[in-house]
Amino acid sequence: MTSLMGNQSRGETIGYSFSEPTSANVKQHSFYPYTDNGGSTLGITGSDFAILAGDTRSTSGYNINSRMVPKVFRIGGDDETGEGAQVLLSVVGFAADGNALKEKLDTMVKMYKYKHGKPMSVSACAQRLSTILYEKRFFPYYVHAILAGLDEEGVGALYSYDPVGSYEREQCRAAGAASSLIMPFLDNQVNFKNQYIPGSGAGHALEAVKAEPLPKDTVKQLVRDAFTSAVERHIEVGDGLQMMIITKEGIEEVFIPLKQD
Amino acid sequence: MDKLVAQYSRTHHHNEMYSEQEQEDFNSSVPPLSLKFSLPPVDNRAAFLRAMTDDHSNPSCPIKLAHGTTTLAFRFQGGIIVCTDSRATAGNWIASQTVKKVIPVSRLSRGEDKKSNEPTPGLLGTMAGGAADCQYWLRYLSQQCTLHEIRHKRRITVAAASKILANLTYAYKGYGLSMGTMLAGMTPSEGPALYYIDSDGTRLPGNLFCVGSGQTFAYGVLDAEYRYDLSEEEALALGRRAILAAMHRDAYSGGFINLYHVKEEGWVHHGFDDMNPEFWKTKLEKGEFSNVTSTL
Amino acid sequence: MNHFPEAWGRPRNDVYGAYDHSYLQTTGPKAHTSSPAVTGTSVVGVKFNGGVAIATDNLASYGSLARFSDVKRLRTFGDKAIVGFGGDVSDMQYLDRLLASMDINENYSPRGNMLNAKNLHTYLAKVFYKRRSEFNPLWNHVLVAGFDGEGEPFLSSADLLGTTFSAPHLATGFGAHLAVPILRRKFPEGMPLEEISQEDAVQALKDCLKVLFYRDARSIDKYSIAVVTKDGIDLKEDEQIQGQSWAFAERIKGYGAQTV
Repeated sequence: MTSLMGNQSRGETIGYSFSEPTSANVKQHSFYPYTDNGGSTLGITGSDFAILAGDTRSTSGYNINSRMVPKVFRIGGDDETGEGAQVLLSVVGFAADGNALKEKLDTMVKMYKYKHGKPMSVSACAQRLSTILYEKRFFPYYVHAILAGLDEEGVGALYSYDPVGSYEREQCRAAGAASSLIMPFLDNQVNFKNQYIPGSGAGHALEAVKAEPLPKDTVKQLVRDAFTSAVERHIEVGDGLQMMIITKEGIEEVFIPLKQD
Repeated sequence: MDKLVAQYSRTHHHNEMYSEQEQEDFNSSVPPLSLKFSLPPVDNRAAFLRAMTDDHSNPSCPIKLAHGTTTLAFRFQGGIIVCTDSRATAGNWIASQTVKKVIPVSRLSRGEDKKSNEPTPGLLGTMAGGAADCQYWLRYLSQQCTLHEIRHKRRITVAAASKILANLTYAYKGYGLSMGTMLAGMTPSEGPALYYIDSDGTRLPGNLFCVGSGQTFAYGVLDAEYRYDLSEEEALALGRRAILAAMHRDAYSGGFINLYHVKEEGWVHHGFDDMNPEFWKTKLEKGEFSNVTSTL
Repeated sequence: MNHFPEAWGRPRNDVYGAYDHSYLQTTGPKAHTSSPAVTGTSVVGVKFNGGVAIATDNLASYGSLARFSDVKRLRTFGDKAIVGFGGDVSDMQYLDRLLASMDINENYSPRGNMLNAKNLHTYLAKVFYKRRSEFNPLWNHVLVAGFDGEGEPFLSSADLLGTTFSAPHLATGFGAHLAVPILRRKFPEGMPLEEISQEDAVQALKDCLKVLFYRDARSIDKYSIAVVTKDGIDLKEDEQIQGQSWAFAERIKGYGAQTV
């Protein structure tokens, strides 16, 4: 079976002196094409908004590359200002892959608009992102992406992805280095997991608290709490918190300082 | 000689960037549910992919993909029952507890569950193994089924649909895909039909399948209680109970019980229910799971 | 595909061969095929009020051998930008040819070369990313200095994987460990650019190069330094580190024949 894959010839075509060499030399594998730039992102939705947030630290190993590298991007808007964007994307993992992914999705969304004369819906964009990721199934983008926007009914929509494009619409999602610190907190505070109504029964008859969309100010505070806590316990998270809030009025961007240590 | 010359000669203006064709591909907004994948430029791609993504052989591999599952489906006199758990794991991390592992493969409804109890025409596919592999290829299959419907003015048979998928997985054998899927559907020519397809290229028709890391536990329950002449109610309860057993015993399965019934007119969704209350109901009311103590 | 529950869905050894860890290691016995031979060490850069200063030493090492002691690692792009190269020297020369070719090509366009440092940095990052995606990397870590589209001082980094980031001051290689702390102390990140003068910036870079010469075994005391301002590029390529003091060396014990 290995031979099925191993010995594919690399197209030894007849060469002319004016042609570029076509076949790359067969390389021994020692070059490792990935790195992890750390950081964490998180998204939460409400009944008429969606929030995507990420820290702004960029690391390689124990070094801090920069304290100001944003991880949340406007998709389909003006190149410089981001004006006109209706979708947000956050990427965490290998920053160069994340950047390539962002630019690709941005191009797709713009081409869609030029060809169809209307902006791409969030659900369409979500599926498109999935196929973009899957196109590199055999040489994956090392990124965890989260996409946010408002759906056809104006309700906050959040889609989370694995590196090769499996996706799911969710209420909240944390990704990146501190995802294992933040996600349990969100399960409890956004989806009210393991919260029960006091006195509603005894033992296993206790009634669970029903999850309901949270108001915007509560969610903003949750995001800040999640990050200030993650910063205390994860070395790759810190410096600044970038928060983008999408409502029908547009996109609001906020920067909040985090601890610099 | 030409090769040598070519290697050391350059055009007047040398450019490193992407060719026009590559840029055009990049800009196309046509959704490419295509078979055009970018491959790592190494000798043994499957080994490269495995080194990056096999979280079992190397728990600290850099890219962890969503995995793990128990899914089952069986035929009985009233149609087909399809039942799954909803957990996705990446290494030891539970990536999600709310995965929809039953994917409708039909033009009329893609993914969205309808609120009414009206049956929806079309096939059902299940998802085990790499979550992205299943989602992508079932979406691709959906596209092919719709095209078939348009070309031939009738719905595709389950046999034909499963063959499309099996041919695909066989074509990509050895590339490192991971999927174990079941296709369930009912067509006038076939009646209730159930096929198992996996990433080795296997395609098997059958009455009863359990797929995934929790398959053994589900088989245990299912084989003990399964008969072809189960009533609809009994069949639904059995599907639920088998998945519950697997969720209880398999660490990589859990979350919610996702239950479907495929009938003559189409499929009906029978709930996406939290396993925890279901478990305690089964234990306290029926006296099963006596391995677990109920006192707090 | 493995059908046993404990590794369900994972690749099988008898089909795919044993799990090959060598894909994950960054260095190893086979590393020579795609790793650098003749290399340059750190590049240091800092923004100041009205421009950017950037510096490298003039050494190209061959492993631990100080092979070429007069290699200019700061390259100009037209009169708009400076690129400081760390890493493989042959790849640096290739990139320099590439950029020269692009500069000529741009100058023949109707409006002349309109590319600023920011555009150049974007281009270089994309070249790096494309080459890493082909598993044929250009083994460099570069700093690009100049001005962006708004006329603000611009300093940004790109490496062999295509990773990019910018900050008020940056250093590659050993400099990321030794020079950045010095720069962060002199110019804290919150400090407005207006408060950093050109003289302070240049002096800071000289101090950094001195510390690097003290402690980076792949460095030399001859260096190049460039200052980009609105008036153009001031590039000096034959500088000597001044005011060295090796007094601290007397306190270092435990090496060579010394026993006490």
